[in-house]
Amino acid sequence: MTSQTVRVLYIDDEENNLHAFKASFRRQYEIYTATSAAEGLKIIQNLSVHVIIADQKMPGTTGVEFFKQITDTHPDPIRILLTGYTDIEALADAINHGDIYRYITKPWNDLELHNSIKNAYDAYKTKIDLRNKITELEKTNDELNRFIYSISHELRAPLVSVMGIISLVKMEDLYRSSGEYWELVETCSNKLDYYIQKTLQYYKNNKVVSINAPIDFKKLIHEIVELYSYADKDTNFIVNIDQDVEFIGDTFRIEVILGNLISNAIKYQKENETHKKVNIDIKVNKDTAEISIKDNGIGILNEHLEKIFTQFFKSKNHHGSGLGLFIVKEALNKIDGKISVSSDPIDGTTFKIKIPNGQ
Amino acid sequence: MASNDKKVMIIDDNPIDLKINSKLLLLSKLFNDVILCQSGEDALSYLRNNVGNKDKLPDLILLDIQMPEMDGFEFLDQYKKLPKEFLNSCTIALLSSTLDFSDIKRAEANPYIVTLLKKPLQPAEVEELLR
Repeated sequence: MTSQTVRVLYIDDEENNLHAFKASFRRQYEIYTATSAAEGLKIIQNLSVHVIIADQKMPGTTGVEFFKQITDTHPDPIRILLTGYTDIEALADAINHGDIYRYITKPWNDLELHNSIKNAYDAYKTKIDLRNKITELEKTNDELNRFIYSISHELRAPLVSVMGIISLVKMEDLYRSSGEYWELVETCSNKLDYYIQKTLQYYKNNKVVSINAPIDFKKLIHEIVELYSYADKDTNFIVNIDQDVEFIGDTFRIEVILGNLISNAIKYQKENETHKKVNIDIKVNKDTAEISIKDNGIGILNEHLEKIFTQFFKSKNHHGSGLGLFIVKEALNKIDGKISVSSDPIDGTTFKIKIPNGQ
Repeated sequence: MASNDKKVMIIDDNPIDLKINSKLLLLSKLFNDVILCQSGEDALSYLRNNVGNKDKLPDLILLDIQMPEMDGFEFLDQYKKLPKEFLNSCTIALLSSTLDFSDIKRAEANPYIVTLLKKPLQPAEVEELLR
């Protein structure tokens, strides 16, 4: 494309001005003229123009009124207001309500007007380019997300077959038949599965729209604790739930948040601790649910506290994925929740969460 | 033992999973016979051919969702046209590695499906189904 023709619409009730404008600019721009707002409107309804110049003083609809009229229907063309005398009120009105790009006094200076049109067109182009870029980015982002989702599913299917084989090996008493090899295969498979599940969780948190439903914390905590303590029965849970009002919230995200925190509390226990315990305290009122999850585990180093919510942060000595707390934070962001953490190596870690009650 | 003469049918396009799951179920001694089908079409023709022969019909069907040509849900559309007497005697559970919400919701909404079992198959969960 040759550097694009700039389409300019000029509306003025004085035909002399229209002629003069055409005479000065017809070589540079594709010019459309109209002698009234109504006529101008007809033109922009049939054709997309880049720049609109309107005279302020016109019988019937004034320039500013015209610009106001088309704010919603034709937001894209850049507006220039022409007026014969300095009318502060019209000017203020134009800037505040008419989305005016430039204000030019009559009689105009050809060079000034030419520069204004040129700049206006650049502004138009920037606006459109930016919009196209955003659409393009959204599309790419969407494709990428869907790709992650599909690939996670595809990866999981054969992995699950491997896990099935390990079950078979156990049932046929072959688990110890080749030293620790089967155990290693199992550890690796479980880890891989964990990564895939976290990836899907992250994806869903990004994608799924909030569905608010009543939440019974007693029941929810019971289910989550059952699920995660299945493999590790050593930890003692002390649950204290104070809920006598209804709580409405995003079940999926709250489950994700509590699930990750509770499984962490189980995972990061001190190996030699004889009284592994996790305290879960929940207090619900009509405004918020305040949740505290406290463990007597290994704790988090002070210098790590700030980084634990960032993607793929993991500490050297432990086998985390670097995704769990990141997902917790992302999920909390989606539901306007807050989280704080305090920790030391002696007493363990406490996470405190506040989630607004949607009732 | 009552469970000893029970039959299970597994419908899965993946031959490895078919082998693994049939072994798992046989080792668990929950069934004395496993009918393996690599597609929904295979399963339907088996069921249609044996519809008069009670001894050959499964008590439980484990059905994969994602299969080429005829997927699990399409299979169910055909399945429900089989004689009522058989439908009443047979239970269907989906068996899938999916964690997809919409699949899970669709499964829960289907009147012929009692539950969705996630792969890897746990014999204990199947046992629960038979109760």
